[in-house]
Formats: sequence, C-alpha cells, structure tokens
Amino acid sequence: MDPLDTAAGWLAENLAIPFLWHTGLMRWEELAYGWALFVVYGAVQVGLMYAICLPLERFYPIERWPDRRAVAVDVFYTLLARVGLLPLIAFVLFFTVQAEFRAWLADHGYVPPTLERLIPGLLGHPYLTFLLYALILDYADYWRHRLSHRFDWWYALHALHHAQRQMSFWSDDRNHLLDDFIAALWFGAIALLIGVPPLQFPLLVLVLRFLESLSHANTRLSFGWLGDRLLISPLFHRTHHAIPAAGARSCNYGAVFPFWDMLHGPARFTARPGPPGDPTADEALVSGSYLAQQWSGFRAFLRALFPERRPS
Amino acid sequence: MQVFSRPLCFPCHGRLRRKALIGGLSPRLSSPRLISRCLGLAAALVLGASLPARAEELAFVLDSAEAAISLVDVKTEREVSRIPVLREPHHMALSPDHRELLVGDSAGNEIFFLDPVSGALKRRLSITDPYQLQFSPDGHLLVVTGLARNQVDIYEAGTYRLLYRVPISAMPSHINFSPDSRVTYITLQQTNRLAAIDTASGRVIWETPVGDTPAGVLWLRGRLLVGVMGADGVAVIDPATGRLLERVHTGRGAHNLFLTPDGRTVIVTNRVDGTLAFLDAATLTVRREIRLPGGPDDLDFAPDGRIWITRRFAHSVAVLDPESGDYQVIKVGRSPHGIWLNTHDALARAVGRAE
Repeated sequence: MDPLDTAAGWLAENLAIPFLWHTGLMRWEELAYGWALFVVYGAVQVGLMYAICLPLERFYPIERWPDRRAVAVDVFYTLLARVGLLPLIAFVLFFTVQAEFRAWLADHGYVPPTLERLIPGLLGHPYLTFLLYALILDYADYWRHRLSHRFDWWYALHALHHAQRQMSFWSDDRNHLLDDFIAALWFGAIALLIGVPPLQFPLLVLVLRFLESLSHANTRLSFGWLGDRLLISPLFHRTHHAIPAAGARSCNYGAVFPFWDMLHGPARFTARPGPPGDPTADEALVSGSYLAQQWSGFRAFLRALFPERRPS
Repeated sequence: MQVFSRPLCFPCHGRLRRKALIGGLSPRLSSPRLISRCLGLAAALVLGASLPARAEELAFVLDSAEAAISLVDVKTEREVSRIPVLREPHHMALSPDHRELLVGDSAGNEIFFLDPVSGALKRRLSITDPYQLQFSPDGHLLVVTGLARNQVDIYEAGTYRLLYRVPISAMPSHINFSPDSRVTYITLQQTNRLAAIDTASGRVIWETPVGDTPAGVLWLRGRLLVGVMGADGVAVIDPATGRLLERVHTGRGAHNLFLTPDGRTVIVTNRVDGTLAFLDAATLTVRREIRLPGGPDDLDFAPDGRIWITRRFAHSVAVLDPESGDYQVIKVGRSPHGIWLNTHDALARAVGRAE
C-alpha cells in the first residue's frame, strides 16, 4: 500500500475523526479521509518542491537577490493552500454548495455527466481518462487565466499574483482569496459539464501541482526546444510574469501544457524573459503582509468595479 | 456456516474456463488447430486483463476513494481483480431475482449492474446520487437515499421506474424496512433524526430525533435500532410512533448494525473507538467487544463463520474469527466501504433482518 495513503488513513482515524466526534461534526466524517489525503499529498508536494526547486534556485538561478524576505509571505500562501485551512474550508463549503446546486439541477432534469459517460470506452482506462481530464481542465484554466488578464476588475485581484518581484517556486499559490473563489467556481462549472474525478489519482495531481510550482521557480531551467513545447518550463512561465506581460497585453497563459498558447497565442519562447513584477501594483501587494495584500487587492477590485466619476 | 444457498443458474464458472484454455494446448493437435488455439489463447490473455475475477467465491468490496470494486477470492483471501466505476461507489444490493448486484455510484450518478457470480458488468443506469440502496423485503421496491441531495427515491424494482421522490432534510443515509415493506426507515445524518416513510404513497409518517449523526438502522424484533455515530451507542426506537425507548452504550462512533445469521447477536461497528460490540439480540446487552482499528464500517458473514469487515482508513478488509477475536488483513483499495460475499444469498439478511 502506498505509504501516503497509509499516512492519510492514520491522520483520518487518529486526528480528523476524533476531532469531528468531539466537536459534534460527525456528519462530515465521510469527507474526513478525502481531506486527510489532500493534506498528506499537499505536504508531500511542499516537501518535493523544496527538495527539487530550492537547489535549482540556489545553484542555477536566473536572478540573484540580496535576501529572500519577500518570499516569506509566499511560503505562507503555499502552506495555507496546500496543507492548511483552505482545503478544509473548500471540502466542507464546496461539498455543501455543490450538492445543493446539483440537487437543484437534478430536480430540473439535469444529471451532470462524466467524461466516461460521454465516451464510454474510457471506463476501465483510468490513466487515459485522467490524461484527458488533465488536458481539458488545463485548457479551461488557460481561458480562465487569460480572461483574468482581460477584465480590469478581475486583474485587480490577479495582480496580487503578478506583483511579486522575487518570483520563486513558492509563488504559485500567491493568490487573492476572491481570485481563488472564482477559480473554484470556474472549475465547478467545468465539473458540471464533464465531471471531475475527485481524489482518485492523488499522485498524478501531485505531479501536476509540482509542475505548476516548478514553472514559477527562480531558475533558468528549460526543457529544451521540444520539451518546452510539451510542458511549461520555468523560462516559459517567467515570460508571462515579466514586467511587459503584466496586465491586459500578456502572453504564455498556460499552467501545465503550452499547447493552448501555441494554438491561440501568444506563445513566446525566450531565454531572457526579463524581471517579473507589475509596476502598476500597489506596494502593499508587493511587500505587504498576507492580510495587507488581501485588503489591498480587495480595494483595487472595488475601485475597478466602481470607478470614481471624474468631474466633467 | 453456509446459511443460504448460492444461486445455481450461472454457467461458465472461471475455473472451468481456465481449465479449457490450458487443456487446449495439446501436442496432439494439428497445426492449423494449434495455431487457432494459440491465437485464441493469446486473445484470451490480452482480454484477460480486463476480465473480472475468475474465482467462484468472491467478496465484492467497494472502494469509495478509488472508484473501483475490488473482487477478493474468498478461499485464498486475495484481491483478484478490480472493476472500474465512475466516482464513488459506497453501497450495493442484490436484486430480488438474485441475478444482478446493484452498485450505487453516488458522485457518478449511476448504478452499475454486475453479475453477482463473476463480477462481470452487465449494464449501467443513470440514477441521481445513489448513496445507499436497498430492496424492500417483498422485492417490489428499491429505495435509494441521496445523501448529498437530500432525497429519498422509491423505485419499482425490475423496471427501476421512479415512483416517488421524497425531499427530506438532511443527509438521508441508511435504510431499513418494516417486514411487511409498507414503511421504510431512513436515518438523517445532518438533522439527527430518523424518518419513517410510507412506501405506498411516499408520505413521511413521522420524524424523530435520535441523537447526533445517526447512521445504520436495523429492524429487530419489532423495534428499530439506530447507530448514533456522534454519540457512543445505539438508540432503540418504537417503529409505530418514533418514540425513543432506550439507549444502549456500545462505543464511540456507533455506525452500523448487523444481525448475525443465527439471529442471536447484533454486531455494532464503532467507528471512533475502533471496536465491534456484540449485543445479545434479545436483551440488547453487550456480551463482548473486539478491538478492530482502522475505521470498521460494513461487514458480511463468510461460510466458515468468520466475519469480513471493511476498514475505511486502513485500506483493507479484516477477516475476523469471532470466537478468538483474531483477524487476518486483506489489502484492497484506498477506502473500502460496502462489502458483500457471493457465498450466500445476502438478500434475506440484507432486507429481512427482522425475523
């Protein structure tokens, strides 16, 4: 048995279930193991990122910084998103909301399909199915990301991600909570159309998330001419984070696969991407604390939604 | 302890099939025939990867976290194959004619119909959120609870035509029936209640509070026993009025209840304590407790008297000798939930525990 599954089982049995029992929340016990899996695999993701990306950043950097203080808040974002509170809230909140919404749809005659029902031949080929799901979801994410640069109110939130001038492998989860929420809704909408396999393949999800983290690493790593066109490399994604690409006129929106940028454009393959950051972002978004960044992002979001009227 | 007879009408048992294949490779065969047999064998080997298990006596174990059904050979106690489903298989029920095993895939919104002897997939049916499913004792109805969708569906068995959808709050979970099939009893995990529903009309007859997060419900000698998962035991309920008669301490996280084939003992799985409590069915006193960590959940009875129990968090099935308390462990998928052995006819036990 996979030791990670064993660890998740131990966590569920010895921590999550007793906690739910003592707090009168046993009705959520069916979700306990899924949450434990998420936490264990999230912790391994972080460990793997640290073990592989840190040496890359140390010995093969693209930028040298006098200190890494600006990275600290990104570490907090990562821990919160991958092993902390957010998965727990997401599990409970989204389970409830999703169940209610699906119930409403079912009452109106719509049962969300799955990819395996749309293509029956996929049943029994879980890895092929997963690959297809990964491609479709990555494609959907490409458009979500692209649109987040297109609309001012959305980019006001997404600017938090781009504001970081010391972009490292910790920067992947640096997002505004509202931006995360929109991404979850987007993901939920896709799930209603084609279904999304839950944690059936945590190891593969782990690999994909690792690739997303790696693409933010401060390293000049490239996968070679062909490799860069199959998987997104740190150089490719750094071009998206470069100062000229901040805001509406950006490029390289993909997260895992570069095909969508090559298909819809613009895809830029360059060995010298330039420094990352967004010169239009408030300084609070760049170097503020977690709460200061969230608040600043929210204010920018409101300003973009309700611009002040200028006197005529 | 083979209590019920096995279905007899299923041809082409795996052992015979395998014998035929291996026996076919005789040196006395003529070349064309040999080539033909070899090609046949090769094709069989290729296809064999996707064929279900070939053992005759199988345990069906539903893995809710890996979207699969593990088939375990009861004799060798080894997993022999896995059947893929869509998302989350939790529970299953044998059809009244014993020809189909219905596996509910709640998040996949489908029921998979399997051959209960071989495990072969026969057909699929779209049904919303089939979390728990159970046929009525008279075999006329199938009741399905939608845990995530707060609904109880009553279907006509055989045609699977929806007769009534009963919206009910909240998290309808386990099911049982009165022996005359007129009433189905449903535990409501979120609102801490037990509901009685008239199967002829879909009308809720009564709802009653039974304790924090009720789970399994069992009709026993004119009373209802309810596992109260958020507490430490079983609530005993009057099925006519819904009145709470008494509470029986069994252990923290009392989850599901099973009547042994001899009708003398009720076994309660205690999820939080990691124990099995053995209750005298007549007096409801705890006669024995066996420690079984790993989140004991569902169970079934093997012909040799041992008990097969899924362990949700230990990725395994425990095969327990109730006399000695010792158990062996069979590794299966990530989160084994429902279990059923085809070594007996589980239908009567599943729906008619009453008598």
